[in-house]
Amino acid sequence: MKNMILLLGLALLATVGGVGEEVFAADELNCVLCHKYRGLSRVDKEGNFRLFYINEKMFKKSPHSRLKCIDCHSDIDEIPHKPAKKVDCTKECHLEEPSSNEKFSHKPVSEILDRSVHSKYDENGNLKEMAGKYPEDYPHCKDCHDNPLYRPLSFFKGEAAGISRRGLSRCKTCHTKGEFAETFYAHVTSRLQKMRSPKEIVGICAKCHGDPGFQERHELDAVVTSYQETFHGKAVHFGSEEAPDCIDCHVVSGESVHFIEGRESPTSAIAEGNVATTCRTAECHADAGENIAGFQVHVTYDKEKYPLQHYMLKFFTALMAGVLYFFVVIIFLELLRRLFPNFSFVKSSGTDEHGH
Amino acid sequence: MKYPRIAYRNGKRYFYRFSLVQRIQHIILFTTVILLSLTGFPLRYYDQPWAEPLYNFFGGIEVAPWIHRITGSVLLGLFVFHTGYWIYLFFKNRIGRLRREKRLTVGNAIREFFSQEMIPNAKDGRDLIDMFKYLLYFSNRPPRYDRMSWKEKFDYFAPYWGIPILGPAGVALWFRDEITHYVPGIVLNAFYIMHTDEALLAALFLFFVHWYNVHYSPEKFPLGTVFLTGYLSESDMIHEHYAEYVKIMKEEGLEHEIKPQH
Repeated sequence: MKNMILLLGLALLATVGGVGEEVFAADELNCVLCHKYRGLSRVDKEGNFRLFYINEKMFKKSPHSRLKCIDCHSDIDEIPHKPAKKVDCTKECHLEEPSSNEKFSHKPVSEILDRSVHSKYDENGNLKEMAGKYPEDYPHCKDCHDNPLYRPLSFFKGEAAGISRRGLSRCKTCHTKGEFAETFYAHVTSRLQKMRSPKEIVGICAKCHGDPGFQERHELDAVVTSYQETFHGKAVHFGSEEAPDCIDCHVVSGESVHFIEGRESPTSAIAEGNVATTCRTAECHADAGENIAGFQVHVTYDKEKYPLQHYMLKFFTALMAGVLYFFVVIIFLELLRRLFPNFSFVKSSGTDEHGH
Repeated sequence: MKYPRIAYRNGKRYFYRFSLVQRIQHIILFTTVILLSLTGFPLRYYDQPWAEPLYNFFGGIEVAPWIHRITGSVLLGLFVFHTGYWIYLFFKNRIGRLRREKRLTVGNAIREFFSQEMIPNAKDGRDLIDMFKYLLYFSNRPPRYDRMSWKEKFDYFAPYWGIPILGPAGVALWFRDEITHYVPGIVLNAFYIMHTDEALLAALFLFFVHWYNVHYSPEKFPLGTVFLTGYLSESDMIHEHYAEYVKIMKEEGLEHEIKPQH
């Protein structure tokens, strides 16, 4: 957070009065007249630094770019406006969902989340004990999502990442309003992959699961660090888009990513009988045997939970220390011996002094 | 190829140690081990600042794993070749001689096996004691090593311990899907630890101990040339293999020119 403020401060110094290049079409009320200023910010009553700058260029690349500001910030009814309430993602939009002609809403997503392990409520609809104590530990939309950016894919004859201009030209033959075609292309192709890179997904889960205090409160292992120790985690760290992140193994294939269940649930992706199926999807370990379920992913080297790894680590550490200390001591003594090459506490017999 | 035991260059004596085949094997060995380290340790230490630039230098996550697998396969191939190589030499030289001399019995064959130059023997134990006596100033006579000192034998057997641990584990992790048809999944966990921890031991040993012996030590810096020429200079021979030096000098009729150990 401190870095963020520092960055913002620098950005402010450098670009006071910087104006975006384009004014986006949906902004009928001209909100960007003020929100285009990079330093537009204040400290709120809770003492949090709040930034109200809108980067139009980035916003235009987001799924919400064709909405009006007040579609989500609906409590704003005058300009200049008072502090706005938090956006409720589950409200109905003014958009119509084209397949059903119904008003679009994120409510179904919220309902799926409420059935998952991340819900504040148990299966009977009662508030979980831990959720009563630590409600902020249970995520809702905005804990994982900011306004996401499209990550359009380019399929056309191996073009570089992003929008395929040649592919798009085919859409534009009929959909002559080019901007629509572009948005629709980005909308569809972004959803053919992850909206965020695997590395970003791990970062999102780590916001809570990487926090030692959170792990202690909910009696959870350090699953993020143990994941990062696997080849999966390392490949993702080095930018692989193919290696699995948290979601790939913790969501049943075909289910919404919001429906993550705990290990105890028999329908979860990581329930005892389901692990092999989860690993052996067509994209991953398709040719593996049932035994792949026995591979332990979240190894903590804990003596009780992972005795094999614990003792192997001890063995190799001892071996390494033994070998290296032995030789390093010899090297040290050898160097020390050179200081007085002919000295000795014990007088040698002298008969064999020169090897003759 | 026949190598003279003592060669002369610019009036200096050089003592034969390694044949061309052996030197080529060593070059393949260190090239593959260095490449394996450079493409492996960025994964182990993925969160260190040097890891990503180094890994990207080798092509990143798309290419570096293949460099690792190919060089690993070459190293395993070398391991198999080398084992075959000394078995071949053992049969050709040792067993062949026993047969010619009509002394080929199981006992003699075993004796011949243990008299090979890289096999540890009782003299190594005595040398080790002599070395500690010398290093701790209880004697001013350095140990008089034979053709192969206990240190060189340790260096030699380190890959014989390391490669069987690293190699099969690496192959199993490469073919992880296929292997799960035959072994429990937790075996892969064990292979993972074996591969990465043994690799660290090997790399640290080579970097600190082996490179001290052949690069950093005051006589050798910046490098000993025996791995290129196959011959060791007289002063190095006296310093490192005095027993062997005296033996060769006597056998070559140069007894009167033997120099003192120090």
